[in-house]
Amino acid sequence: MDIGPVIDGFGVVLEPANLLYCLIGVVIGMLVGVLPGLGPAATIAILLPVTFEIEAVGAVIMLAGIFYGAQYGGTITSVLLKLPGEASSVVTVFDGHALARQGRAGTALGIAAVGSFVGGTVSVVAMSVLAPVVAGFALDFGPPEYTALALLGILLVSTVAGGGRLKALIAACLGLLLAVVGRDAFTGGERFTFGSLDLADGLDFVPIAMGLFGLGEILHSLEQRHRAVHAPVAVHDVWPSRADLRQSSGAIGRGSVLGFVLGILPGGGAVMASLAAYALEKRRSPHPERFGQGAVEGVAAPETANNAAATSSFIPLLTLGIPANATMAVIFGALLVQGVAPGPQLVEENPELFWGVVNSMYVGNVLLLIMSIPLVGLFVRVLRVRPAVLAPITVLITLVGAYTVNNSTFDIALVVAFGALGYLMKKLGLEPGPLVLAFVLGTLLEDSLRRSLLLFGGDPTGFVTRPISGVLLAAFVVVALLPLARGRRREPVDQVR
Amino acid sequence: MTSTPRALFALVLALTLAGCGGNLGGGSGDAAAFPDGDPITVYVGQDPGGSTDLIARALAEQVSHDLGVAVVVENKPGANGALAARELAGKKPDGHTLMIFNGSLAYITPLAVAAGQAPDLADYDIVTGISQDDYVLVTTATSGLKTVDDLEDLGRTVTFGTTGVGTGSQLSQELLFAQAGIDATAVPFDGGSPTLTAVLGGQVDVGSIQLGEAVEQIEAGRLTPIVTFAQERVSYLPRTPTAIEAGYDVPVQQSRAVFAPKGTPSSVIGSLEKAFGSAFEAGTYRAFNRDNQLTPNEVDGKTLRTQWTQSLDTYRAVTREHRIDLGGEQ
Repeated sequence: MDIGPVIDGFGVVLEPANLLYCLIGVVIGMLVGVLPGLGPAATIAILLPVTFEIEAVGAVIMLAGIFYGAQYGGTITSVLLKLPGEASSVVTVFDGHALARQGRAGTALGIAAVGSFVGGTVSVVAMSVLAPVVAGFALDFGPPEYTALALLGILLVSTVAGGGRLKALIAACLGLLLAVVGRDAFTGGERFTFGSLDLADGLDFVPIAMGLFGLGEILHSLEQRHRAVHAPVAVHDVWPSRADLRQSSGAIGRGSVLGFVLGILPGGGAVMASLAAYALEKRRSPHPERFGQGAVEGVAAPETANNAAATSSFIPLLTLGIPANATMAVIFGALLVQGVAPGPQLVEENPELFWGVVNSMYVGNVLLLIMSIPLVGLFVRVLRVRPAVLAPITVLITLVGAYTVNNSTFDIALVVAFGALGYLMKKLGLEPGPLVLAFVLGTLLEDSLRRSLLLFGGDPTGFVTRPISGVLLAAFVVVALLPLARGRRREPVDQVR
Repeated sequence: MTSTPRALFALVLALTLAGCGGNLGGGSGDAAAFPDGDPITVYVGQDPGGSTDLIARALAEQVSHDLGVAVVVENKPGANGALAARELAGKKPDGHTLMIFNGSLAYITPLAVAAGQAPDLADYDIVTGISQDDYVLVTTATSGLKTVDDLEDLGRTVTFGTTGVGTGSQLSQELLFAQAGIDATAVPFDGGSPTLTAVLGGQVDVGSIQLGEAVEQIEAGRLTPIVTFAQERVSYLPRTPTAIEAGYDVPVQQSRAVFAPKGTPSSVIGSLEKAFGSAFEAGTYRAFNRDNQLTPNEVDGKTLRTQWTQSLDTYRAVTREHRIDLGGEQ
């Protein structure tokens, strides 16, 4: 492996401007992590237009910081207030809050910070080694391979998303349908454009993400009663004791590996990783009854895994141009806005960007470790900001931002329309994640499928005879049939819930 | 053109003319003072970072210097630039809103999309031509292909990557293979970079790409240039024949020009032409052209209109002759 670009990447990160963007990113990330309701996908979607003015490297460094920073922030409220700021910190509540009630909130936060740091860092190291290998296959990835990959991605997302498989599939189908709008890239024929040039290129991803995630979530959270904030439990002795560290070292190690692997899988990511890691520790423990009563491992495992997964989910995006989850889909949009096409050529053509972003994660993890402990009180105070103040400001930023991406008033209308759709979906228990992902992958799927068939002269057997696409399609079949084979056996994830 | 769009067009034209008539009375004083301290907006119908955008920015800086007002480049991507073109046509014709117009939009897109979806040159005044960009037919170095005859000798259907429907990339190859009698399938990709990747990876046999985008890989020896679609040998690729030299009459180029809304006072057009003219002379701009393999085509508006109208007529005739349907079912 050529180490030169990796070192240059550190040079990029250590430029003062990029360090600043990294810091801004992780601080914003921690803040939104603390705030329930506003997730990283929504925040990144809302801030997309802001990044337009920043250089590509700095922009992605900042957005990445928001994503993994939110994993740290979500822990704080889980432990102190029994209020998970993020879906990926839900399981942390069980033991984290139990520890806080025993007066050991500091221990819980400390061990979570250490676990997060280790998980994140292990994941970056593994990514630095693995990503160029994947990208090495770059030129072997032709239209048939992308077809298979897009199929697999859509299936996995619909299989693992929250809210049940059927609802996820419905959302994904909506996304696929929306992807059909626009001028046919192969014939120039109009599809669902109603003669409007605004729709000729199809619906733009950015206003869809901003509407569904940003506006939709704000509208929905306005309905929720604002909960009175409990006085935070006093936090002291933040640095975990040697005994605590010894007790959770296994959980941190396993959580790192599990999180890394689950993060790479399409449809995987931080939420699934935290659930799986918690379940694994509980099953391995000689005293499973301790879980839920304040077991340190019960905090260490999910917090390590969610950070490891948040990091590794960048691999498929940066090497193949396939977003593994909804947040990655939004970052995908950010890269496109910047004129950077995420894909196999990225490592080679834009090494400063690739390694700059990857290496910024080391720095970001250190920053988070330093900040998370002394600043806990400050972040908790954010919860006192009333939604009545926060919501209008966010809506304003969203709408102004939507205009600035393409200087198009049509985009503002799109954001409003998708904001309304996002709200309705939430009311019906449909997650916007699968929709957004299927929308992104839908275009890829259709174009690649048709390109493949042109290349094969209309003979579909070519998909199976090419090695990479053949293997991916086999994986597709396995994943599709797995639930049938498993029968009624309950999945470990369900036991946790 | 069917009768409805024609009637619509007449109506638009009438309205524009009426609007401009109203302007002329009090406008002549303004025109003399153009730009009168007010900023100028230059639309670009493509994303930031592409060739058209780079050209716009290189020129904006110089023109701003010459006229003493801010010249702002505004990207309005969509429908290959048709979106920005439509918006320009509806702007006040006072010289404060301009557009860097891509020739393909004027002489290739109309062959690929439904009538009324492509802009009509009659809706615009032309300030000046800018430059031309050549297309080159490339293949991956490992394919061993070197000439058009090699492609014919493959004895099977050739697959060729295009940068999209209704682009010069598609037209150039469709014409070449039709004239050479080679059985070929077009595989459209989304822009230059994905097409380049597909050619490099051997996913398609050949692809036609703008010279500036391909030159780096050609110099690195990873792409083999087969022919260029230029009128004359390209100075950057002295050993690569043009398609004409190889025996096929298919010159296809991307051309760019500065457009203004129809009805812009001629004195304003004159001031703008002068400002762009001195921008073309600047040393940094000339170096920019060299670095990006662009051939200057700094002709006046009238000449440019003739060039592009002729291109459209020529392409319409040859595509008919060879029964090529750029937008057709493939």
